[in-house]
Amino acid sequence: MKKFLNAPEHFVDDMLDGIYFAHPDQLAYVADDPRCVVRAGTMPTGKVGLATGGGSGHLPLFLGYVGEGMLDGCSVGGVFQSPSSEQMLNVTRAISRGAGVLYIYGNYGGDIMNFDMAKELASAENIRVEQVVAGEDVASAPKNQAAKRRGVAGIFFVYKCAGAAAAELLNLDEVRRVAEKAAANVRTIGVALAPNIVPEVGKPQFTLAENEMEIGMGIHGEPGIRRGPLRPSDEIVAEMMEPILSDLPFGAGDEVAILVNGLGATPKEELYIVCRKVGLLLKERRIKAYRTYVGEFATSLEMAGASISLLRLDAELKRFLARPARTPFFEQVQL
Amino acid sequence: MNTLTIEDLKGIVAHISRIVDRSREHLIEIDGQIGDGDLGITMARGFAAARSETESVADADCGKLLMKVGAALAKAAPSTMGTLLASGFLAGGKAVAGSDALDLSSLAAFFNAFVDGVARRGKAKPGEKTVLDVLSPAAEALASAAAAGEELSAGMERCFDAAREGLVKTRDMIAQHGRPAYYQEQSRGKEDPGAAAGFLVIQGFRDWVVGPRP
Repeated sequence: MKKFLNAPEHFVDDMLDGIYFAHPDQLAYVADDPRCVVRAGTMPTGKVGLATGGGSGHLPLFLGYVGEGMLDGCSVGGVFQSPSSEQMLNVTRAISRGAGVLYIYGNYGGDIMNFDMAKELASAENIRVEQVVAGEDVASAPKNQAAKRRGVAGIFFVYKCAGAAAAELLNLDEVRRVAEKAAANVRTIGVALAPNIVPEVGKPQFTLAENEMEIGMGIHGEPGIRRGPLRPSDEIVAEMMEPILSDLPFGAGDEVAILVNGLGATPKEELYIVCRKVGLLLKERRIKAYRTYVGEFATSLEMAGASISLLRLDAELKRFLARPARTPFFEQVQL
Repeated sequence: MNTLTIEDLKGIVAHISRIVDRSREHLIEIDGQIGDGDLGITMARGFAAARSETESVADADCGKLLMKVGAALAKAAPSTMGTLLASGFLAGGKAVAGSDALDLSSLAAFFNAFVDGVARRGKAKPGEKTVLDVLSPAAEALASAAAAGEELSAGMERCFDAAREGLVKTRDMIAQHGRPAYYQEQSRGKEDPGAAAGFLVIQGFRDWVVGPRP
């Protein structure tokens, strides 16, 4: 293991110290706990509070999307571990402005249980909480078991659209509806080329031979759908795009936003090589690309690999996607 | 010993913490096969926190102490297993709140509520290759021992045997929940890591009452 570390058990807290040092104008914490992240500054009365949370090891997920036009708070867990319900509750209290709070998080057992507990605790304090659980990884379960699908990079689009809706002071039911619509229209698939190392474990989470890849692997090294020899990039992308396109399905005339996401150790050059083929395949199918995002949006420590997400847009989602945002890890002017 | 006092319960929590520490690497290894490999870390951290939260408690309420264990686990080990066991201790503790000692039937009531708490939080039932496959037969064994008027130690032995048998049976099951479920058929033949962690809790109670097995 070759990492910038002081001690494995300080990995998350040392990272957070750096985050707060670098972004004092944007992020702050509550309850005297750096793992309870909120937006710095004031939040308008009447705005629905948007909170997320999840394990560390995925930057910019999850805390990186706390900021203007996106999220109001985030609870931060250990590496690949859920934050505690108490931390979630602390964030919930801090971002509640009388209009309710919406939790948006990925479909993982630990997170669900803790957010469920936090929701129960918050409702005991008369804070109304609703939840949208994102699960859009088509490789993680078949379509007839879509409720089992893992949430991965596509959650970025859910944050973006819900964040824009909340910024316009829509009410909790409306913001939830927008978040659910975005979540229902996004599909993702990933491919891993090399494993990650959880600092406290100290060894690779799985092994892939020098010339091997695994299509469909999750962002915590969950098993994928096919392991095999590395192929030319265009062939890998074609294999990945098929299950995404046929799942929703995306068809001729649809307009989409694209996210080509690096998993941590893959250079941007390679992501653009992936992106190139995504563009060609969409063109072939007469699917219109409205906006393409390329970079690291949801990583898995130093895992090498990439994921591709497509969001099918309608007029409303397109309008919310186009709204400006400013967070420590994502900035966009009005499109 | 026919009842557990508050001091016994503190001793049991400390003993579970020791057992979990000793099993840390084993848990990491079996969890690494079908889970994410951090079970040993989170369990060790969770029960160490539970131990330090409970050792100085002056209150004599057994239920409150057990709920404190749950709260400590929820805070220090918010992983899936930590949260499930936290929900179990919270629900179980609530069921015996106000008792200054636990006899076999109140211990059975504790574990019965514990199982309900875990099942509710995890939206799971026995047979799905989870910790419930250890806890549920263990609780049933306690209940039938209590109904038969057995001694605490005999009841605890039956409970431990049922838990161990339950753990072995998870090998033949296909995981339905959490990360192991992604392995489907490949999860067969492997002990459920969460069930193994739950077994250590039962072992902690048993060892305290009966004495460690050689």
